Amino acid sequence: MKFRSTVAAGMSAALLVGMLGGAVSAQDPVVATPGQDVKMMLLPKFLGILPFDQANQGAMEAATELANPSAFDFVGPTAENSVAGQIEFMTNAPTGGYKVVMLSNNAGDQIGPVAAAAVAAGTKVVTWDSPIPTAEGESVFIAQVDFTETGKVMADMALSILGEDGGKFAILSASPDAANQNAWIAAMQEALASDPKYAGLELLETVYGDDQSEKSYEQAQALLSKYPDMELIMAPTSVGIVAAAKALQDEGLCDSVKVSGLGVPAEMVEYTLNGCAPEFALWSFVDLGYLTYYVSYLIGSGALQGAEGEVFKVGRPISGNDTFTITKDPTRDAGLRVLMGPFTVYNAENVEAAAK
Amino acid sequence: MSADIRRRLIGWEGLLLVFLVVVLGFNMATNPRYLEIGNQVNLFTLGIEKSIVILVMAFVIMTGEIDLSVASMMGLAAAVVAALFEQGVPMEIAVLVALAVGLGFGLINGFFVAIVGIPSLAVTLAGYIGFRGLARLLVEDRSVGSFPDWFTALGQDGLLGPITGPMLLYLVMAILAVTIMHFTGFGRSTIVIGNSVSVARFSGVRVARVKIAIFAASGLIAALAGVLIAARLGAVRASTADGFELDIITVVLLGGVSIFGGSGTMIGVLLSSILVLNLRNGLVIAGITGNTQTGIIGLLLILSVLVPNLVGAGRERFRRRAADRAAPPPGTSGEGVSVRPSGG
Amino acid sequence: MDALLRRFRPEQLRELILLLVIVGMVVFFATQIDQYLAARPVNRITTGLAITAVVAVGQVLVVLTRNIDLSVGSSVGLVAYVVGTLLTRWTEMPPLVAVGLSVGIGVLLGAINGLLVAYGRVPSIIATLGTLALYRVVLVEFSGAKTVTTADLPDWLNDIPSANVASFEGYDLRVMVAVALVAVIIGQLMLRYLSFGRRLYAIGSNPDAARVSGLPARRDVFLAFTLCGALAGLAGFMFLVRFGNITVTAAQGLELQVVAAVVVGGVAIAGGSGSMVGAFMGVLLIEILQQSLLRWAEISEFVKDAILGLLILLAVATDTVVLGRLRERWVRIRRRDQEERLAAAPGEAADVR
Repeated sequence: MKFRSTVAAGMSAALLVGMLGGAVSAQDPVVATPGQDVKMMLLPKFLGILPFDQANQGAMEAATELANPSAFDFVGPTAENSVAGQIEFMTNAPTGGYKVVMLSNNAGDQIGPVAAAAVAAGTKVVTWDSPIPTAEGESVFIAQVDFTETGKVMADMALSILGEDGGKFAILSASPDAANQNAWIAAMQEALASDPKYAGLELLETVYGDDQSEKSYEQAQALLSKYPDMELIMAPTSVGIVAAAKALQDEGLCDSVKVSGLGVPAEMVEYTLNGCAPEFALWSFVDLGYLTYYVSYLIGSGALQGAEGEVFKVGRPISGNDTFTITKDPTRDAGLRVLMGPFTVYNAENVEAAAK
Repeated sequence: MSADIRRRLIGWEGLLLVFLVVVLGFNMATNPRYLEIGNQVNLFTLGIEKSIVILVMAFVIMTGEIDLSVASMMGLAAAVVAALFEQGVPMEIAVLVALAVGLGFGLINGFFVAIVGIPSLAVTLAGYIGFRGLARLLVEDRSVGSFPDWFTALGQDGLLGPITGPMLLYLVMAILAVTIMHFTGFGRSTIVIGNSVSVARFSGVRVARVKIAIFAASGLIAALAGVLIAARLGAVRASTADGFELDIITVVLLGGVSIFGGSGTMIGVLLSSILVLNLRNGLVIAGITGNTQTGIIGLLLILSVLVPNLVGAGRERFRRRAADRAAPPPGTSGEGVSVRPSGG
Repeated sequence: MDALLRRFRPEQLRELILLLVIVGMVVFFATQIDQYLAARPVNRITTGLAITAVVAVGQVLVVLTRNIDLSVGSSVGLVAYVVGTLLTRWTEMPPLVAVGLSVGIGVLLGAINGLLVAYGRVPSIIATLGTLALYRVVLVEFSGAKTVTTADLPDWLNDIPSANVASFEGYDLRVMVAVALVAVIIGQLMLRYLSFGRRLYAIGSNPDAARVSGLPARRDVFLAFTLCGALAGLAGFMFLVRFGNITVTAAQGLELQVVAAVVVGGVAIAGGSGSMVGAFMGVLLIEILQQSLLRWAEISEFVKDAILGLLILLAVATDTVVLGRLRERWVRIRRRDQEERLAAAPGEAADVR
């Protein structure tokens, strides 16, 4: 009981500060003071795949720019121990002296209590790429794109590939527990149901490849056997999308079935040029890492409170924009976000340039 | 012979103790806050469910069997609790049902291993796949949470000062496990079965009954651990406790229990539990990535057997050479400190 | 049945039982899944089991000696990644060099296991649990978070998955499947006719006796692990060829798949008995089950694994129970025949064994 009233008091204080901050910053965005020592941890879902490595590059760029003497530690669990490993890193972060943990959450709500405990012990939590669904313990989520928009973008790509009459398609996702993939799929289904423009699109089934090439490949093959009239596989995961494209190419079916979704240009270029995956989308993970580091540095050094309405400026423009605002996250019941955006849709015309 | 075994065990536990001292020294040197109560509580809390299952896995492996299904059982128990809670069943009843499911499937495992005679590796591999499948069936792609406060408090809040309920439970269970394994007839039966099933039969041990009891206990305790992890994390997904089985088996083997059964001590298992918990804590705080942590534990596992073997072999060769020079009477060749399992 | 039992030992009939179980399964799925026996789906399933089969052949050699190799998943992943990376940098590499390199790295990884187990006397489950972790660490460190992608690989590599040895009305014998079959056949012949193969059984039945009776047990166990590594290396190359896009999680969990197949195929985990053909049946059973469940429209994505676990248990239980019955009957027949013979010619009793 006591604990709770303290939290409530803390929250209202934060809100108050936030409102004040918002009022002031309307004219005057917060700007970082370089050179402060803020010990931070960049915690992806696991190590060893390209998107997270790009985020690391972006964070390094910001760390250098801000001349943070302790820069940051890029650590992560193994892929097979991702959930338990993230909880372990989060639990031990205050003892390790970290001021901020930058988390791409793979543990869903399960990391909530631990994140709250870390906050109570003096470590702030900034999420990126994938938020804590309940927002428990989270200061702010750096959203790469609007999650509702992701659903629309996927539906639009499906329509542009299949033509206005639409057609049958299946979704090949990461794992049933991947919070961001689930949110995107839900957003896409929402879009299909609400907008008559998408009436021709029929979702056959959602299957999971567990973000492993071999499983995704076999799932794609199984879809081909199961649904001979399927015309598109939509894979909102960088591992699944290449595996599905390879499966179609090996089967020689790229003329009748296409692949789309979210993928890394460097990995997709071949399939986009040969027509297996004519269109796919993504955002810049380098920019995401850069922005996340900037926000975390501002929060860790006390320049930002992590409250609604605060406005701040980053060192270099991201897609032409260098001033961002902390707002309510409309895609979750609770929580704040900083929206980065935008999507880039890749096709045969721009994929080669992006792949370099 | 028994003196030889004792020497061997002392050697093993001594080695684990040395490792532990090194790790503790490293942790204290690298992190001033290592000894703080908060960190010590964290350190145990993070591995408490695994530690509980490790106790019963020691019995399973001691009989020469294996249970690969424990982590999937943990996930299934958590999923049962979550699914029933979603349906509006009171939490107390949901927990009891989850424990009953654990006991039931444990009995089924035991039946197939002890009565039908299928290798436990095959039976529990089926459980490893099937139980996880059932968990997936129950909670699908959802994340179930918002449990009653008393339930999450069970896993998250201190009961005795900062010490949580599961930690106290573990303490009691650890004392029980040592007692049962080394000071009761059941424990002796367990070890005899691991040494030789036919010897056990001749000496009147009801082999099937002991094995069924151990597999049933394994299912029940894994289910209990699953309930506890649901309470600690406050949310359940179908992948809860995924992949824990290898960590659990690793600790038991590192504790000196032979994979072929029949040798090892519970003390060794407790030591290796504490060693691994402290090692992980130190590595995480030092900012070492998960891959390197796993690698270090893998290396430790190999070295813990390899080093004594090499030392033993070297000593044996030295002794033999010395003995040759002294021209001893035949039949006194020294036994090395070989830690090779007997392979009954 | 009695006539069969007079000619064969029950263990030799085991493969027949497994074959019947598999046929029953295929017939069942054929009634459930549209176009199940059409050429395309069949080609997909057969190509899919080639990699597991090759790894299983190596695993059998190890398991026969009462050991186990849990590191094969990491070995396959590591080889696929390293050779894949080298091929993206040196696209001119001749195909044979690439295959040789894969097998070579596999030999190295297997030899490390073999050294630890045979000469370091580390129990194989401990040694290979350790190297399972270590080989994966090497892979993650080596990768620098880059993914090997098909676009960077030479064209000849990407053409292999659909290459055929023979084809009959659309039913293909793909190169990968042929390689797997050759591996199984060579393995079976080796176990049957080479003294090395026979020794593996002896070592597994009773390691102490094998050592005492002067068999080169250590060398043979070392060789078994090295060969297992070599086959894992070959499978790593096949993995690279088939999936093209290789990340750090490549082939994670393959070890359990292979061990399951080998155990289901009747190779005793306590060593000393089993055959390559049996293990191959195990691979067939598990892979066909998995692939068919993926395609069975009656069941949702979420029920799949629950059913798979149940079916594996059922298959193994049927096998065990039927085999047990056969063995009892076999013993009875042998005894009766012996008594009859004794009665017929009491004078030759001494010759009857």
